[in-house]
Amino acid sequence: MDEKVGKFWDKYVTKKASRLYEAEKVLFEERARSLKIFYHLLGGDKAKELHITDKRFLKTSRTLLEKFSGKGKSFFLAWQDEKALYFPASLSYFDDKNLNEMHYYWLCAMLAHVNIKSNASINENKKAANFLIEKYSGFKDFHTNAEAFLLERYPELSTIKPLNEDLLDDNSYPNPLWIYPSHSSNTMLLDFDDEEEMGREDGKKDKTEELKMKKKAEQINDDKETDGLLLFLPESLMSLMEQVNVDRQENDSFDEDALYNAEDLDEITLGKKDANLASRIKMDLDISANSAEDYPLGKGHFRDEWDYKKESYLKNYVCIKPQISIYVEAIELPKRLEKMMKKIHSELDLMELDRIKIDNLPYGDELNLDTWIDYKGHKNHSNHPQRFFQSYKKKTRDMATLILADISLSTEAGITQDIRVIDMIKDSLMVFAESLQRLQDRFSIYAFSSIRNKKVNFHIIKNFKEKYSDRVRGRIDLIKPGYYTRLGAAIRESAKILEKQQSANKLLLILSDGKPNDVDRYDGRYGIEDTKKAIEEVKQKGITPFCITIDVEAKEYLPYLFGRNSYAVIRDAKKLPKVVTEIYMNLTR
Amino acid sequence: MSNTYYLAQSNEVELFEAAASMNLPILIKGPTGCGKTRFIEAMGEKLGREVYTVVCHDDLSAADLIGRHLIDENGTFWQDGPLTKAVRNGGICYLDEIIEARKDTTVVLHSLADYRRVLPIDRTGEVIEAHPDFMLVVSYNPGYQNVLKGMKPSTKQRFISLSFNYPKPEIEKEVIIKESSVNAAIAQKLVNIAGEIRRLSDSDIQEAVSTRLLIYAAKLIVKGFDPYQACMHSIVESLSDEDDVLEVLQKLISLHFTKSA
Ligand SMILES: Nc1ncnc2c1ncn2[C@@H]1O[C@H](COP(=O)(O)OP(=O)(O)OP(=O)(O)O)[C@@H](O)[C@H]1O
Ligand SMILES: [Mg+2]
Repeated sequence: MDEKVGKFWDKYVTKKASRLYEAEKVLFEERARSLKIFYHLLGGDKAKELHITDKRFLKTSRTLLEKFSGKGKSFFLAWQDEKALYFPASLSYFDDKNLNEMHYYWLCAMLAHVNIKSNASINENKKAANFLIEKYSGFKDFHTNAEAFLLERYPELSTIKPLNEDLLDDNSYPNPLWIYPSHSSNTMLLDFDDEEEMGREDGKKDKTEELKMKKKAEQINDDKETDGLLLFLPESLMSLMEQVNVDRQENDSFDEDALYNAEDLDEITLGKKDANLASRIKMDLDISANSAEDYPLGKGHFRDEWDYKKESYLKNYVCIKPQISIYVEAIELPKRLEKMMKKIHSELDLMELDRIKIDNLPYGDELNLDTWIDYKGHKNHSNHPQRFFQSYKKKTRDMATLILADISLSTEAGITQDIRVIDMIKDSLMVFAESLQRLQDRFSIYAFSSIRNKKVNFHIIKNFKEKYSDRVRGRIDLIKPGYYTRLGAAIRESAKILEKQQSANKLLLILSDGKPNDVDRYDGRYGIEDTKKAIEEVKQKGITPFCITIDVEAKEYLPYLFGRNSYAVIRDAKKLPKVVTEIYMNLTR
Repeated sequence: MSNTYYLAQSNEVELFEAAASMNLPILIKGPTGCGKTRFIEAMGEKLGREVYTVVCHDDLSAADLIGRHLIDENGTFWQDGPLTKAVRNGGICYLDEIIEARKDTTVVLHSLADYRRVLPIDRTGEVIEAHPDFMLVVSYNPGYQNVLKGMKPSTKQRFISLSFNYPKPEIEKEVIIKESSVNAAIAQKLVNIAGEIRRLSDSDIQEAVSTRLLIYAAKLIVKGFDPYQACMHSIVESLSDEDDVLEVLQKLISLHFTKSA
């Protein structure tokens, strides 16, 4: 009996002491994306992340009831440092969900306006609050209501004692409408220019990634063994690479490098023939088919890299390893994409109606009245070229597009429980290929990932020569997240391929989920500068680069890398497949 | 003395006058709705020259610019196009959205846009020397949809370039007031909203709010529309199709103009 009463009492006290409204609670998680955009709207630093804060301890006098129940010692407060903004995981101070939501926006706006170096003093908070109240009538209403409500429920609120400057020692309840100083409020501003510093910062993350890398690297070594076996099959390989000149007389051993001299990457005839190869290898070696694997085309070749510190190129510094999947299964367009594809097709068909008129023909589909009247208007008919006809021709767009997909490890990241970024990239490639096929525009697809300058894996999914087919789809389907993103090297390689195309318009479309990085110094300013340089080279070659990137972090460097109008950020990765095609259509309209 | 209202953003008026006096052609770059067309109209009035505007598109032919033979009861006769009219009689020929035109159309401009200042007309065999008051002005919007189109360098390098952007807040505010006769407080809010949304444009949305849209909003408000609704219809909806962006923009508007229940 006593026990029961005790429990009941305990419950009563805790409930009474908690002055929050559970039912009206608003979660940070559900608002995080909106808050981030809002923060940018108010001029907040785009490089900052938004996070959930942990509890902060403040010395406060608690009400008798709170002391009783042991509540009220620590609080979730809003604060910021140089890298991020920190919000409470949920807010439920108010008895109205809208107000609790507005509370988040208020904190976000406050964070955009309090000066981070001023240590979030009371005066700074007041200044920012007054500014917001002045400028936004919505915040004015919110603040008036919120303050009245809070004061009534929390008579011990900080605002009551505005004289005390040092908030952390303030002996009263923290004001939920205010921004509090960061944990280590006298941390020096980080020097963001210093790469070494940055490297150490992320040391922990790197280690776990490195572990994964190691595992992968081992797998790759296994692959190499198999490659060794394949070396004994020059005949069948030759049939695959028919079009490539290999001088066998001179060098009797099979020279893989000849298969892949940079220039030849696009010459290799793919498609049917690798099926051929697969089956022959299967026959000859009795390796189980069905298990696709990457087959290296040559030992690799070298490309330059830009060292911004030295302001010069490091000659032949990066090794590009071209490869292609063999034993590929031909697959049809996945069911999940059918509906989207249908819709895009009908849009594309409208575009196809675009016809161009050709004038001044000696014969043709119809009479061109303008030329006829010109002729009539001429005094001297004999001098006039008698070309009165016009014809319509379907517009050939004279486009060559190379789509370069970043398949680094980070694309392993999940968007939802069972969809990863890489899945969206793969779907995008399929939809994109399908669309360009429909438009009869020329295109090729490559994917890449890197491990240092030693190895930039450059996967051929479809080159310009090969026809789009179920097999290409099979190759897309086989794409797996790889290692890092040595973007500059991959761009240079792509430019080499595009350069050789005859089309009038050349487009390099880069699909990426983040910034250039690698395990070496490429992660940071070095990588950014090399990529920027590579992009400049692309432009000089008369190729238009365009980057489509998925928003996973701040994208401040994008305009710096690609130029103001040469990139697009997709904030919702699930929309990528649709958007990639839309962007292409817009670009080439 | 001139009727068209134009408030200068910086030194563009002086530059235009200088170019006009030296017979140099002008290229104006700028986002949509920032006042390019308005500027040319105002300059035409100021200099007392007629403005012949041609909005370019990919079906525009050289004949649309230069002219063609037409028929009447007496047979065929030659009709000057807008370009030829301006070349003959003096005036400003303004080619809006020049990069929408095909390149084989715009080559007819070459001989006009350099020191020669002549327009050869193949169809009549005529070569017209440009009137001293003839001036060529072209404009385009360097948005991302246009990265592939560009202009031929040989065309581009014949022009003096003026780069337009959305006006500074004080100027934009005044323009809004003048154009819509909305009160200063509301104009200020609209300018504040625009300033905030334009901050987003790079990473979060592709379009930016134009001065034109702000004037639309102001006009709706003057008509008696609730400011929140006016902004939603004129500014927000046209900027993005992404739900979370729309939600935040909506929030932003509601903070400036409290929703009337
Ligand atoms: N400096 C200014 N002075 C006066 N009015 C202006 C000014 N800037 C913009 N406007 C107003 O903005 C409106 C849109 O401008 P305008 O039509 O000239 O845009 P534009 O740059 O030609 O756009 P587009 O590229 O879409 O043709 C004008 O009708 C005018 O009301
Ligand atoms: Mg205009």
